[in-house]
Amino acid sequence: MKRFLMLSFLAFSISYAQDIVSKYIKGQIPPNPESNIWQKATPVKIPLSGQAIVAPMDLNPATKDITVKSLNNGKEIAFLISFKDEKPSYFRTNNTFSDAVALEVPLTPDDSTPITMGGNGKEVIILQWAAYRQNNLQNGYADLPKIEPNYYMDYWYPQAKPPYAWPKDWNNKYALDYTGGHVPYWKDTRNTSVIEFIADGYTTTTWKKHQEAKGLGIYKNGRWYVEIVRPFKVEDTINPIWGPGSKTFIDFAVWQGFYKERDSRKAISYSWIPLIIEGK
Amino acid sequence: MPKVYNWQLGREVEYLYEGVKPKRQFAVIMNLNKCIACQTCTMACKTTWSSGRGQEYMLWNNVETKPNGFYPLGWDIHLMEKLEEAKVEQVWENGVYKGKTIIEAAPTGERVLGWMPEDLDWANPNIGEDETAEEVDIGTVIDHFPNPIWMFYLPRICNHCSYPACLAACPRKAIYKRQEDGIVLIDPERCEGYQECVRACPYKKPMFNQVVGISQKCIGCFPKVEQGLMPQCVTTCIGRIRLMGFINEPDKIDPENPMDFLVHVKKVALPLYPQTGMQPNVYYIPPITVPIKYLRQMFGPGADNAVETYKRMREGKEPELQALLLLFGSTEFIPHKFKVEGDFVLAFDEKGNELVKVPLTEPIIMRPATDPKLGVTRQDIS
Repeated sequence: MKRFLMLSFLAFSISYAQDIVSKYIKGQIPPNPESNIWQKATPVKIPLSGQAIVAPMDLNPATKDITVKSLNNGKEIAFLISFKDEKPSYFRTNNTFSDAVALEVPLTPDDSTPITMGGNGKEVIILQWAAYRQNNLQNGYADLPKIEPNYYMDYWYPQAKPPYAWPKDWNNKYALDYTGGHVPYWKDTRNTSVIEFIADGYTTTTWKKHQEAKGLGIYKNGRWYVEIVRPFKVEDTINPIWGPGSKTFIDFAVWQGFYKERDSRKAISYSWIPLIIEGK
Repeated sequence: MPKVYNWQLGREVEYLYEGVKPKRQFAVIMNLNKCIACQTCTMACKTTWSSGRGQEYMLWNNVETKPNGFYPLGWDIHLMEKLEEAKVEQVWENGVYKGKTIIEAAPTGERVLGWMPEDLDWANPNIGEDETAEEVDIGTVIDHFPNPIWMFYLPRICNHCSYPACLAACPRKAIYKRQEDGIVLIDPERCEGYQECVRACPYKKPMFNQVVGISQKCIGCFPKVEQGLMPQCVTTCIGRIRLMGFINEPDKIDPENPMDFLVHVKKVALPLYPQTGMQPNVYYIPPITVPIKYLRQMFGPGADNAVETYKRMREGKEPELQALLLLFGSTEFIPHKFKVEGDFVLAFDEKGNELVKVPLTEPIIMRPATDPKLGVTRQDIS
């Protein structure tokens, strides 16, 4: 009996951490992690551990826990995620990686959706904020002289300026794709630090063409404070079933670039966390 | 884990995916006895494909001096060290590799036994250029050198492996092997710049574009290959050391196919570090002036036979091989078959049309040193 109780407790604790309540507020949610408005939300501390299902993995990731708050105004939902990070990383270069944080929500509020980025036809949306994308926006495009201030290169063609458009009449698709043409630049010149993916299992994350999520991260006193905001309903794209007065589930992942964390080498919250979205 | 047959190792190897063979396999043969490291191939590739931002440091084709040159720094030494750390015994028995491949030896939590070059490792593509190492018997100021005195040039492109480590390592399945020609490509749309391919590739041929934020690599000049043309690095080689074609597996050898003839029939062209298990598809005719121990490590147990065969060819005992080598650099079109006819060697395209006819002996016409008609001395009489 004692063993049964313990197992029951374990099962419960593995299934759900503390609920996250998205507090309803009136008016705009400012894109500012330091706004006083966040004092209205209840913080929830969530333990993280290394992703250990699919290789490559890091079983001892740098981030041990995150603190999450959530607000909504009936139209938008916002999350404030903070975590300790002693070595903030803003660039991606050779063997250097950027800090990032992501949340995932099942398209339908069903906790049988595989937490491993969806699966079995049960899709999830993922909102990922990355420090390097924000750095591009705040400090200008991460061109090589910015990444490597002492670099010199006498071989550089073409001497174009951002956004590095190639001549419109140059329709060599292969060259455009492989000489750093429109496809990759399109990906790295978005106007938001938050990218929305849709996924149906590991390896399937795909950028959604239409993006409306926004975000801002502030690094202060050894911690990142990252705000991610998304309208409940975005036109012309797939939306989760969520809104004021509903309940769904949420999960988080954090990457600390200094420790070479990227892709599936990440810290995750290992179970769906109930997300209770307050109505008016 | 699925198993696939690796003919270079003579056994099945573990691979992350089921083996799906392409309709035909892109292959390049490089004759290391003739490379002079002029870097024409390097510049041809650079100006064609990697002149964009973030690609400044990239050399999809590079030529390095062996044993002391590297791009990136120490790539092959790191590979050997990694295998040693993993206690992989690089042992061959009767043509069968008994050690583990870099996928079979992958540590827990990893897909491939790999390592990541640092930024500066890419910064000196010509490090060690022309360096040899051993005392010369005329006396030197240095007592002795750590290595025997020899060197050769090793040109390298992506090996477009049959079982690519980069493809296996990509967590986004952004890397694929084309069915039509076996060329391995990175999909720039799906790539998120995680650099797992850079870490995994034993040859360190995928490279990270830090401006664009994705990995990029040699694309085998596939737009040219689709038109029946050989890649830029092949057609611009002034030393005529390269030939591109499509190679068959050992059970489907076509002796008239130049690739098959050199790799399977004469066994004079060998894969680079086959023990990695990737079944690479760039084949090298090893240099005959290098210690055989080094060649065995770099090209596998076939090195002895390849060197002996090449030496025989130089003595005139391998006329067909000698003839085929004359086709190198003689056409920009992909030769599918070749034939020796009288004093000529001919190459044919896929439909059997003649591409080129090369004389086995260059005609030499000597002109008299003086021109009786003009009454002048000729400066050039050849």
